[in-house]
Amino acid sequence: MSGRPKKLLLLTLAAALLAGVFFLQGSLNRDREQLGLTRMQPLENAPPVLAFTTVALGGFRGLISNMLWIRAGDLQEQDKFFEMAQLADWITKLEPQYVHVWLVQAWNMAYNISVKFTDFGDRWRWVQRGLELLRDQGIPANQNAVLIYRELAWFFQHKMGANLDDANMYYKQQWANEMAQVFGKLKKPDLDELINPQTDDQKARARLLREKFKMDPVFMKEVDQHDGPLEWRLPEAHAIYWAALGLKIAANNPSKVKAEDLITLRRVIYQSMQLSFYRGRLVNNPFAKAFEFGPNLDIIPKVSAAYEQAAAEDAAYHDHILQAHKNFIKDAIYFLYEYNRISDAAYWYKYLAEKYPNADVLDYSKPGTSPARSVSLDQYCISRIQDDVNGTPRDRIEATIEGQIMTAYRCLAIDEDEHAAGCKLLAQRLWDNYMSRIPAGDRRKAVGLRPFAEIDREMLRRILDPEHGAAPEVRAVLLTKLGIRGDTARAPAPAPGTNAAPGQAHE
Amino acid sequence: MQRLYAIAWLTWKAAFRFRLFLVIAGLLLVSVVGLPLLIKDDGTARGFTQILLTYTLTAITALLGFSTLWLACGTLARDIEECQIQMLAVKPIARWQIWLGKWLGIVSLDAVLLALSAGCVYGLLQWRAHRLPPDQQQALRNEVLVARGSAREKNFDKEIDARADQLLRERLEKNPLETRQANLGEVRRQIRESVKAAYELVRPGSPSRPWRINLGSARLHLRGQPLSLRVKFNAAEGSASGTYGGILAFGEPPKTKTAQSPVLSMAPDTFHEFIIPPDLFDADGVLTITFGNPNETALLFPLEDGVEVLYPEGGFGPSFVRALGIILCWMALLAALGLASASLLSFPVAAFFSLGLLAMTLSSGTMANAVEEGTIAGYNPEKNTRGSSPVDLVVIPTFRAALKVIRLAMDFSPVDSLSTGRRVTWTQLGLALSQIVVLMAGSVGLLGIFALSRRELAGAQAVQ
Repeated sequence: MSGRPKKLLLLTLAAALLAGVFFLQGSLNRDREQLGLTRMQPLENAPPVLAFTTVALGGFRGLISNMLWIRAGDLQEQDKFFEMAQLADWITKLEPQYVHVWLVQAWNMAYNISVKFTDFGDRWRWVQRGLELLRDQGIPANQNAVLIYRELAWFFQHKMGANLDDANMYYKQQWANEMAQVFGKLKKPDLDELINPQTDDQKARARLLREKFKMDPVFMKEVDQHDGPLEWRLPEAHAIYWAALGLKIAANNPSKVKAEDLITLRRVIYQSMQLSFYRGRLVNNPFAKAFEFGPNLDIIPKVSAAYEQAAAEDAAYHDHILQAHKNFIKDAIYFLYEYNRISDAAYWYKYLAEKYPNADVLDYSKPGTSPARSVSLDQYCISRIQDDVNGTPRDRIEATIEGQIMTAYRCLAIDEDEHAAGCKLLAQRLWDNYMSRIPAGDRRKAVGLRPFAEIDREMLRRILDPEHGAAPEVRAVLLTKLGIRGDTARAPAPAPGTNAAPGQAHE
Repeated sequence: MQRLYAIAWLTWKAAFRFRLFLVIAGLLLVSVVGLPLLIKDDGTARGFTQILLTYTLTAITALLGFSTLWLACGTLARDIEECQIQMLAVKPIARWQIWLGKWLGIVSLDAVLLALSAGCVYGLLQWRAHRLPPDQQQALRNEVLVARGSAREKNFDKEIDARADQLLRERLEKNPLETRQANLGEVRRQIRESVKAAYELVRPGSPSRPWRINLGSARLHLRGQPLSLRVKFNAAEGSASGTYGGILAFGEPPKTKTAQSPVLSMAPDTFHEFIIPPDLFDADGVLTITFGNPNETALLFPLEDGVEVLYPEGGFGPSFVRALGIILCWMALLAALGLASASLLSFPVAAFFSLGLLAMTLSSGTMANAVEEGTIAGYNPEKNTRGSSPVDLVVIPTFRAALKVIRLAMDFSPVDSLSTGRRVTWTQLGLALSQIVVLMAGSVGLLGIFALSRRELAGAQAVQ
C-alpha cells in the first residue's frame, strides 16, 4: 500500500489511538493513584497555561522554578516587590501540585511583603494577593489539599482577624466593604436570598459570592447553623467557613489526611468562634460613618460546645483547651451581664461552678479561696471592672462609674439598647458595692460617692452639652430616645438605681 | 570613512536580505505589546509601570543582545567561510576597516531597533499614564515617571576615624600591655563600629539626632515642590507584629516651617518612601529631619543608606534616552565580542564561545560569592565553616580579575534606575561610553582586528 490510502489509514489510526487514549486516561490515572504508582495527583481541570507549562516543560519546570524563586528572593532583599505577584504566579504555575509552594508564596505576600509597606492600602493589596493565590488558584489546582484550606482560614483568622498587624482594623473594614457587595451594606446577611435568588440584584450578588469569593451559600448556611450565628462581613466567619470546608474535604479523602492537620483545622474553627464571640457582631455607627464591633452573645453555647469537643479530640492540648474554655466562660458571663442578659449570665455562672468547681473567679493569686459557688454573680461581674473595690481610691471608682454611664449613653445613641442597660446596671452595682462597704456615719460623707442619680445627671449633661458634648446628630437621637425636650438644663434626672436602659427609665 | 560606511551599509543590506531586521523588529514589538497583556502586577499604577518598564526593557535588552551576538558572529564568520570576504579583501580596503565597518553596521542596526522598540515602550507608558485618574497620575509622575536626584547627609568618615583613633589612643595609654597582646586592627575596627553606631542609633522613647541634608544647588528649583524621603532602619530586637512605630519631623524652627507625620507603622530592613511637604529646607538648602522612636527597642539608621532625600531633577524622557544609551553601549560590546570571535573562529565555535562568555558574565553572582567566601568548595552557614580546595589558589584570583572586568560593564543599572524613578545622569552615560565602548569594546575590537588581519582568508573552503 502506498500513497494516499496509506496516509488516510495512518491518519485514521492516529485518530483512533488518540480517542483510545482519551478514554483510557481516566482509568489509568485512577490505577496510578490506587496502586501508588505516582506520588502526586494528576492535574485536573487546570487552566490551559498551567496544563501547558506542566506538560511541555517536563522536568525542566523545577529548574526554572528554582531560578524564579532565587530571583524572587533577591528582589525581596532589595525591597523590589512589584514583580512578586508575577513571580509567585509563575512559580506556582510551574509547580502547581507542590502544596508548600502555594503556602510559602501566599504567606510571603500576605505576611512578609505586606508589612513592608507603611500605607495600609498597600498592605491590604498584598494580603488580598495572598488570599487570592490560595483561594482562586491553589485550591482549584489542589482540591484535596487540606493544608491550603487551613492556611486560607488562618489568614482570615490571624492576619485579618487578630490585632497583630497595625493595619488589622483597616483590613476588617475593607473586608466588610467587600462583603457589603454581597450582603448589602446595612442589613444583616441573608443567606437564603443567595441560595434561592429571585431578583436580578440577588442573582448578581449570588454570582459574585460564587465567582469572586468562591463560596457556596448552601455550605455557608450549613456552617452558620452548625457554628453560628456568624457575622459574614467579618473575617472570623470566613476562617470558620474555609476550615469547615477543609474538614469536609478531608472527610472525603480520609486516607490522605494526617490527624494533626484535622486538629489544626478544628483549632481554627473554635478559636475563630471564640473571636466571633468577643467581637463577632457589626454595629453600625452612623455618626462615625464606620462599623464598630460588639460581642456575639448568641454564639456562646456553640463556642462552649466547640471547646469541649476540641478538648476531647486533642489529647496533647486537652488541659490547655479546657483552661481556655474556663476563661471563655468567665468572659461570657461578664459580657452577658454587661448586656443586661442577667438570666443567661446566671445560667453560665452556674455552669462554671458545676463544670469547674475549683476555679477561682476573684483572687487568682490565692487558689481555692474564691470558687464560683462562694461568690455571687454581682460580685464577680463588678470585680471584672475593678479588681479590688475596697482598695480602690474613691476618685477611680467614680471615674469608672462615669465611664460606664457614658458608654451606656453612647450605646443608646447607636441603638445598642441592651448594652446600654447593662452598662447602666453595672455602674449602679459598682456604686452600691462601694457604698455598702463604707460604714454609716460622718465618714460616709467624707469618702462616699455622690448620689448615683447626680453622677448620671452630670454625665447626661456633659454628653448633651452643645459646645463640648457629643455631635449634634448624637444629641438629637439621645434627646428623642430619652424623651427630653429643650436643652440639657431641663433634662430630668434619670431614676436612681434603675436596671433599665436610660431611655426606658423615663417612660 | 566612506569605506567604513560602505561596509556598514553592506551589513545593513545583509540584515535585510536575510530578513533578520524584520524578524527582530517583529519580535521586539510583539514583546513590547504582548508583555503588558501577560504580566501580573501588584494592583497599583505605580507597580504596573515599574514591572512594565522592567520587563519590556529587559526583554528588549535580552532579545537584542542575543541577536547582536548571533549576527556579529554570523556576518563575519560566514563571509569568511563562504569566501565572500575575498571579494572585499582584494579591494583597496584595509582589514581593520572591514571589521570596524561591520561593527558600525551592527551597532547602527541595534540603535534603530532599540529606538523603535523603546519608542513603543515610552509611548505605551505615556498612553497608560494619561488614562489613569488624576491622583494616580500625579503619584506616578512623582515616583516613577520622573528623574530624581538624591541627597544624603554629609560623610562622617573623618569624624568617626578621628574619634576612633582618639579612643584607641586613650585605651592604649590606660592599658599599654594591650599593644602587644591584642590585634590592634581588630580593636580599632570594633571601636570604630561603636563610634559609628552612635551616629546611627535612635534610642527607645527618644528622638534621633537631627539629620541635616544639604540639597545644594538643587534648592534653587525645588521651591514649592514636594520631595521624597527614603529611610531604612534595623531594629535591635524583633517585634511580634513585624513593624515599629515612628514619627518623622521636618524643618528646624525658627529657620524653616515644620511638619510632622502621624505615627507610622514601618518594617525594619526595608526602604520606606514618604512625601516631604514643600519648602521645609532653609535658605542654604539644608533640610533637617528627625525621627521619634516610640518603641521599646533601639533603632539603627545606617549611615550609608539609612536616610536619603530624593528630589525631582529633570524629565523622565531625557533620562529614558540616556538609559537607552547605556543599553546601546552593551550592544556595542556584544557586537565587538561576536566579531572578534568570528575573526578567529568558525561560526558555530564563535557563537558557542561568545554565548559562553555571556553566560559567564551573567553568572557573575556565583563568582562574587566564591570570591567573598575565598573558596569554591562551599560554605556552610549553619556551622560558619568553609571548605577549601587547592584549585582556589588559581580560581579565586582568576574570578577576582574576571569580576573586575565584568563590573566595568555590569556596574550600570539603567533599567533599575528608570523603574525606581532615579535619574540616569550624563556622567553615568559618559562612564558607560568610556568603560564599555572605548575600553572594553575597544580592547576586544583590537584583538579582533589583529586576528582578522593575521588570518589567511584564502585558506577557507567555500561552504556549499
